[in-house]
Amino acid sequence: MRSSKNRSRFLILCTAPAVILYFVFMILPTLNVFRMSLFERGAYSPTETFVGMANFKVLIKDVKFITSMQNTILLIVTVTVITFFFAIVFAAILTREKIKGQNFFRIVFYIPNILSIVVIAGIFSAIYKPDTTGMLNNIFTFFAGRNIEILWKSQPMVIVSIIIAMVWQAIGYYMVMYMASMAAVPASLYESAGLDGAGRLTQFFQITLPLIWTNIRTTLTFFIISTINMAFLFVKSMVAPGMSDVGLSFMYAQKDAGLYGYSMAAGVVIFLFSFLLSALVNRVTEREVLEM
Amino acid sequence: MKKFLCLLLTLAIALSLAACGGAPQTPPAQTPPPADSGSQDTPDPAPAPAGPIKVAALSSGYETAYPGMWQEVCAAFTAETGVEVELTLEKNLEDVIGPSMQGGDYPDVVLCATGREKGLTEQFIKDKLIADITDVLTMTVPGESASVDSKLVPGFVGTNITDPYGDGKTYLAPMFYSPCGLFYNAGLFAEKGWDVPTTWDEMWELGEKAKAEDIALFTYPTTGYFDTFFPTLLYSVGGPDFFNKAMNYAEGVWDTDEAKQCFDVMSKLAGYTAKVTPAQANDQDFTQNQQLILDNKALFMPNGTWIVGEMADAPRADGFEWGMCALPGGASGTSASYCWLEQIWIPSGASNIDTGKQFIAFMYSDKAAEIFAKGGAAQPITGITDGMEGDNKMFYSIYDNGASAVMGGFAAYASVPGLGSVREVFFDPFNNLVSGSLTQDQWVDNIRTSSDTMRENLIVS
Repeated sequence: MRSSKNRSRFLILCTAPAVILYFVFMILPTLNVFRMSLFERGAYSPTETFVGMANFKVLIKDVKFITSMQNTILLIVTVTVITFFFAIVFAAILTREKIKGQNFFRIVFYIPNILSIVVIAGIFSAIYKPDTTGMLNNIFTFFAGRNIEILWKSQPMVIVSIIIAMVWQAIGYYMVMYMASMAAVPASLYESAGLDGAGRLTQFFQITLPLIWTNIRTTLTFFIISTINMAFLFVKSMVAPGMSDVGLSFMYAQKDAGLYGYSMAAGVVIFLFSFLLSALVNRVTEREVLEM
Repeated sequence: MKKFLCLLLTLAIALSLAACGGAPQTPPAQTPPPADSGSQDTPDPAPAPAGPIKVAALSSGYETAYPGMWQEVCAAFTAETGVEVELTLEKNLEDVIGPSMQGGDYPDVVLCATGREKGLTEQFIKDKLIADITDVLTMTVPGESASVDSKLVPGFVGTNITDPYGDGKTYLAPMFYSPCGLFYNAGLFAEKGWDVPTTWDEMWELGEKAKAEDIALFTYPTTGYFDTFFPTLLYSVGGPDFFNKAMNYAEGVWDTDEAKQCFDVMSKLAGYTAKVTPAQANDQDFTQNQQLILDNKALFMPNGTWIVGEMADAPRADGFEWGMCALPGGASGTSASYCWLEQIWIPSGASNIDTGKQFIAFMYSDKAAEIFAKGGAAQPITGITDGMEGDNKMFYSIYDNGASAVMGGFAAYASVPGLGSVREVFFDPFNNLVSGSLTQDQWVDNIRTSSDTMRENLIVS
């Protein structure tokens, strides 16, 4: 009796710091976002006025906000699909096939992930240079045999440029994650499948994919949320303001315009959006968990 | 033993909590806290050696040209008045002082101009959080016998850049100024035997000539640079009255002939703009657009005198030589050059307002001007251009050569959700005009409707 009381006291003491910090730095600010979205104030003004739902009413009619949310959704869908496809394929190739310099590729793919966004923006400004000295245009020019000058960071290519950069940045990290879980799949399963006459592709779809499904599910949720954030960073550091806004860059711009409440209203919508999206993704990817 | 362990744990938790809780409240202040001398309860209105004042200044191209410029000026101020200065000098000033100001900790003096992307100064103007510093004009410059307004070049105070509410009170003091205009390669013009156009018709003619040689007529670093170009165009086409109406979003001003002329020039200019420009018109790549001038790939770009220092290390075409000209006058208009002005101001929440005013007055002293001049910066002090040499001498003499100085910008209006900033409404769409995804009519229509809302929300005193 006494020892269990002591034990629970010990547990409370151990978890208290984390819980308190989480409450102070995560829960409270989040609640505050909801509260502030009902008020209007400048970022530095000491006074605020209650405006009720007015901010939201304007927000749903704001063309710029709608466009930026469309861009966000486009980025989430395309970047996720492309990244996951390549990450899984590369992971499968690197774990299952005998390739020279496996570790080398692993490192090469992973490097973009440890670069800061400013460095990435710098790299891509060289890749996307609009005249023929840009890396991509140069390659295209070489193969086409005539001068090709694609304006990567201008309309209408700008969103494609962002997608390419985001995929490039994210592949390595997820590839390494899947490689780890694929390595845990026992080789005996593949051997017996091979004896039964299953080809490489069948093995991949029947064994690898189902066994790493839990991992894919979790990373998918992570990835969607991080794409919302990363899209903001890429757009902010790579392209001209107003060229292709995403949800968070819209929110940021409103703050700079002195509309703190309005930007918080946008924040609330984005928060709920990402929350619901993650829940939805979690729901539709639910499968029976297979044991190895 | 168990008790001891328990004690140890609680201690550790308490410590870690204290460490974590303490960090965000106290900003990294290695310096002693400022003595609370300037607040209302001080009996003496102008304490001579008040506690250290906090000065926050934007680290711009001038500081790059002469590192240590601000430190030297602050030291000179301390030597003159005995007041210590705590200097915050950052390239991203808004990100550094912004959060602490939201927490109520204000610098005493801020050098940060309007027209920057973060719009910090604009927000302070809109919320009326800037201290009235009209009396600085009559103050004596520390260490000298002259008063501030006797040293100031006439005309620099009184526009909506310094008096944002139009009530005759000055809130922002004029600091570094720079004539803005069209920059070009004078060497190329001499080589080809081209003349710098004085009317827009000549400009288009030149555009055709240049096109034949595969040179674009126009480029711009980012759309933000139109905040000097567009007002100047309005002025040069319509004159001062029209300019003032436009800056205050007067009713029907965009339907006038003058406005029509300006919009036509803008969209024609979009047609003559180097095609790669919009793809590089962002904060990452804008120097590449400036490089187009150095490489003889484009003829003109709107810019300011800082461009010389900014591109000092960039490769350039043989025989390159900076040239700057005013905007051509319209059919009835005059040639004009925008006078870009940085402002220095005091947040009304600052604790040492009086000492802050002294600091601002000191900015106009000969000693400060001399130090700033080393970085190529010039304040609007009478006679400042006399000591200039080289490129700067040529740039600053633009007004002596017949161009009207354009001062003032679009008037401040209260932020309205969904409306957007002046830059978003007027200038950002220029990228789309160049790439062809927006027509002139769509652009002007949007300006017309937004301008109505801006007028309704004008901030007046």
